[in-house]
This record gives sequence, structure tokens and C-alpha cells, in this order.
Amino acid sequence: MKKINNKIKNSFGRKVFVVFNGILLFCICLVFIVPLWNVLITSVAKDQDVLGNVYLIVPKSFSLKQYSRILQSGYFKSFVRSIIIATIGTMFSMTITLPAGYTLAQKNLVGRNLFMNLIIITMIFDVGLVPFYVVVRMYGLINTYFALVIPVGLSTFNLILIKNFISSIPDSLIESARIDGANELIILIKIIIPVSIPIIAAITLFYFIQYWNRYIEVVMFIHDNTKTTLQVLLRTLMFESESATTGAESVYDNFKMAIMVMGMLPVLVLYPFIQRYFISGIMLGSIKG
Amino acid sequence: MKNKKVRLIDRINQQKFLLLLLLPALLWYLLFRYIPMMGNFLALTNFGSSIHIKFVGLKNFIRLFQSLDFYRAFNNTLILSFANIVFYFPLPIILAILMNELYHVKMKRLVQFIVYIPYFFSWVVVGSIFITMLSPTSGIINKIIEFFGGKSIYFMVSTFWFRPILIISYIWRQVGYGTVIYIATISTIDPELYDAAKVDGANHFQRVLHVTLPCIKSTIATMLLLNLSHVLLIFDQIIVMQNAAVYAVSDVLRTYSYREGLENMNIAYGIAVGLLTSLATAILVLSTNKASKKFLDESVF
Repeated sequence: MKKINNKIKNSFGRKVFVVFNGILLFCICLVFIVPLWNVLITSVAKDQDVLGNVYLIVPKSFSLKQYSRILQSGYFKSFVRSIIIATIGTMFSMTITLPAGYTLAQKNLVGRNLFMNLIIITMIFDVGLVPFYVVVRMYGLINTYFALVIPVGLSTFNLILIKNFISSIPDSLIESARIDGANELIILIKIIIPVSIPIIAAITLFYFIQYWNRYIEVVMFIHDNTKTTLQVLLRTLMFESESATTGAESVYDNFKMAIMVMGMLPVLVLYPFIQRYFISGIMLGSIKG
Repeated sequence: MKNKKVRLIDRINQQKFLLLLLLPALLWYLLFRYIPMMGNFLALTNFGSSIHIKFVGLKNFIRLFQSLDFYRAFNNTLILSFANIVFYFPLPIILAILMNELYHVKMKRLVQFIVYIPYFFSWVVVGSIFITMLSPTSGIINKIIEFFGGKSIYFMVSTFWFRPILIISYIWRQVGYGTVIYIATISTIDPELYDAAKVDGANHFQRVLHVTLPCIKSTIATMLLLNLSHVLLIFDQIIVMQNAAVYAVSDVLRTYSYREGLENMNIAYGIAVGLLTSLATAILVLSTNKASKKFLDESVF
């Protein structure tokens, strides 16, 4: 038996496959890394090195000049603004998502099916951007920071993830606290939150990145450039200067890349943490509701 | 009957704190989902194009069906959706199976770590990366073309290249997400199944075909359904990457609705376009869900 196993394992075709597979996956990794690396090294290159040169993998110079330029520009202000919006937004989102997830996880909740259906309908039937804009304008939120937080404050997907996680906590834990006379808010804070730290951390990160990456809602709701976010300014810098090739004052690539690095920064910093939660498979069971 | 009513009130009373915790979320759904949904009825008015709002019946829909731009958007949406299913959808499955064949767990983790990064970048960042790589003057791709004696191509304004660029950048950003999900499913497969297949004399390829694939088929169905639920809604990527030169090949239903409704301020008309898109999506999702329930005994909603 063992002999046959070894034979299969070491057969020539298998060896070729293993080598080929390794090379293929290595190349695939390069496809993901090279563009990011290129952005990074270009952002720290000196002006003369990026002017029409092939600047691909080997850095030729190192200078933080572009970053110090950004520090004094409106881009840095929008970076700080984006961080603040994402932080406040995430706190707002968590304060409505977490309690709602807890309530919906209660199996004997009055009208549980009704609530769940109302929520799922919004996933099946997309509301549409134009009515969404009309309503936000009607509420008087246009050109206010509230528009960047409240109308986009809840994600049904995140809500269902939290609800599913809390459903998997043994009822006995909650019931015994109820018998002791603890009210629901206390149960949520003292019992549910401590055992749900992994999912709470994951959802917090998702929300933060969603706020950070948001683009179209910002364009729709904020018409004032001094209130806008970094993503919107990055889009203008990259795409509008690109389409107006003639006449427009050209910005060097290293400056553009430095802004791009700023646009990716929070994601790069948070990514190792997010990745851990995904690998542990939280998402998988939850996707299926 | 009366008894039942009393009991309901009792139960509500009993759970009032619990319900109170749900209230902010319910209020949010009302304000930002259900009231905008009602806003879709504005499609039956002349809202936006005149100061005096009046009911115009199906006029916006008639105009829509007579508009060439609408058909162009409809057509582009179908082409891009189809390309998405054909070119993108199988890739995470293949990639996950290949990655699973790596012997070293650490290597597997590393590859997974790398391919998953772009999923967390905004479309603005991903679009910017592509625009840099494809730039006619300093982009890597054009430098390679010139190196081999070709002429540099201005990809972003090329009606021929723009769709492939949309698909490729979509794959670049999204493939890691699907891969991670499939890998997680594959790792839950009972190793005894593989051993049994081995005893039966199945080679590696046959084991993938007869053990791995059947074991992940419900995940495949789920992913397909999730994919179908947003193919027609494709928007964020396109609104970020498109420019006037490539509207002809990239204007989709939602970008058309957005431009008509919010840039040209034909609000009611924009809503009509959006409403049709949402209805088509809902029908698509519900019917795939039904099919998946019937054939795979698996449903998402």
C-alpha cells in the first residue's frame, strides 16, 4: 500500500505539475506585488528619475520630498479629514449595528421574521442612487459631514455577520443573566461583547475601510472641495489630469504616487489584522446567512 | 383572537428593551432604504425637469425605451456582466485548487496573503494603479510594447481596450476574495475522503475532480448567486475609471442613470432607469435563488 502511495507521489507527471504550479503561483504573486512596489518606489524617487524613464523594480534614488510637499498641501488636510470621518463613522455604525445584531439573534423575538424580511428585501431590491440622493437632499444633509456618515451608516452584510455570530453563543449564558434580572443593555455589554471580540474587531475594520474607500457618495453629497475626502481628490488628480493631457500643468509621477500611497495607507496598516479574521473562516459560515 | 392580541402586547412589553436596541437600525432602514424606495414613484412625475411637479404617467419609461443611449447602456451592461461570469467567476476556484496543491502551509498562507490585498483598496486606488501602468508616456505596459518595437497605445481612451481593462482590473481586485472563501471551504473537507479516493486508485487530478469539486459545489452556487446579484449593478468601478472617450463601450445602466439623474438633473428619468435596473436585478436574484434551491438544495435568502 505504502509503496503505491509513494509511486503516485513521486511520479514524473506529478513532479512536473508541482514545479509548474509553484512557478505559476509565483508569477501570479508578482502580478499583485509589482504594481504596488512600483507605486511605492516611485513615490520616494527624485524628480529627475521619474521623468519619462522606465522606473519599475529597482529604486534609483530615495527622497521624502514628495511626502513633505503633501504635508503642506490640501491633500494632507483631506487625509486627516478622511481618517476622522472614518473613525467617527465606524463608531456610529457599530453603535447601531451591534445592538441590532444582538436583538435579531434572539430566537424568541417578537416579529423576528418580519424584521429579517424587511432587511433582506433591501438586499434583493437595490434602492438606486438617484432616489437615495433625492432623499438625502430632502433631509438637508447635502454638503454636511453628516451625509458622509448617517446615510451610509449601516451595512446589511455586516449586520447579518454579527447576528449570525451572536446566534451561535449558547442561550444558557444569556438566560441565566436574564433570570438574575440584568437588563438587555447590561447583557449586551457584560456578556455578549466579551465573547464576541473577534467578530466585533473584524466588523469594525470592515466598516473603517468602507468609510475610507467610499467615493461616489462623497461626490454625490459633498460639493465643496474643502470638505471632501482624499479618495475624491486622488481620483481628480489621477483621472482628470490624465484625460486633459494637453495644456494642463503636469504633475510628476512621484507626487501622484505619493498621494496614492496615502490613499492606501490605512488599508496597508490594517491589512494584517483583517487577514487574520478572514483566514479563521468567520466569513464563510456567515455568507450563507 | 382577543387572547392572541393580548399575548402579543404582553410579549412586546416583555421585550421592550430588546426592541429598543433594534430601534435605531429600524429607523435607519426606514429613512435610508424604505423612504428612498418610495422615492422610486417619482419616476412617474416630471420631477427635476420642471419647477411644477406633476404626474406624467409612463412618459419617462416611454422616453427610455425610445432612447438609443438606454439601449447602449443596456447592451454594455449585458456584455460586461457576461464577461464577468465567463472570465472572472471560474478564476478563484482554479486559483484556490492550485494553491491547495502547495505543500508548505506557510507558502500557501503567503500566496493567500498577497492575492487578497487589492480587495481592500478602493476602486479609486485600483483605477489609479491601472492608469499608471497603462500610461502612454511612462507606463510599464507601453514601455514593454515599445521595447519589442511596437507603438505605444493610449489604453484608457481606446474603445477597443477599455472593456478588457475593466475586466482585468476587476479580476485583479476581486480574485483574492473568492479564492480565500474557496480555500476556507476546501480546508473543511474531510481528509478521509481523499484517502478513500487514493485507495480506489484515483490520481491527483481525479481526486480534485471527484472529491474537491463536489465538496465545494454549494459554495460555488452561493458565490454564483452573490455574483449574479450584483452584475447588473456594476457601477463603482466604471464611474471611477470611465471618461467621455469610452462612454460608447462602458456606459452601463447605473452610470447612465447617475449621469442623467444627477449630472443632467433629469431626476425622474434617472430614477426610471435605476428602477428598471433594480427590478431586473431582483428578478435575476430571486430566480437564481429558486434554481439553486431546486437543484442544489441550497439557498442564500
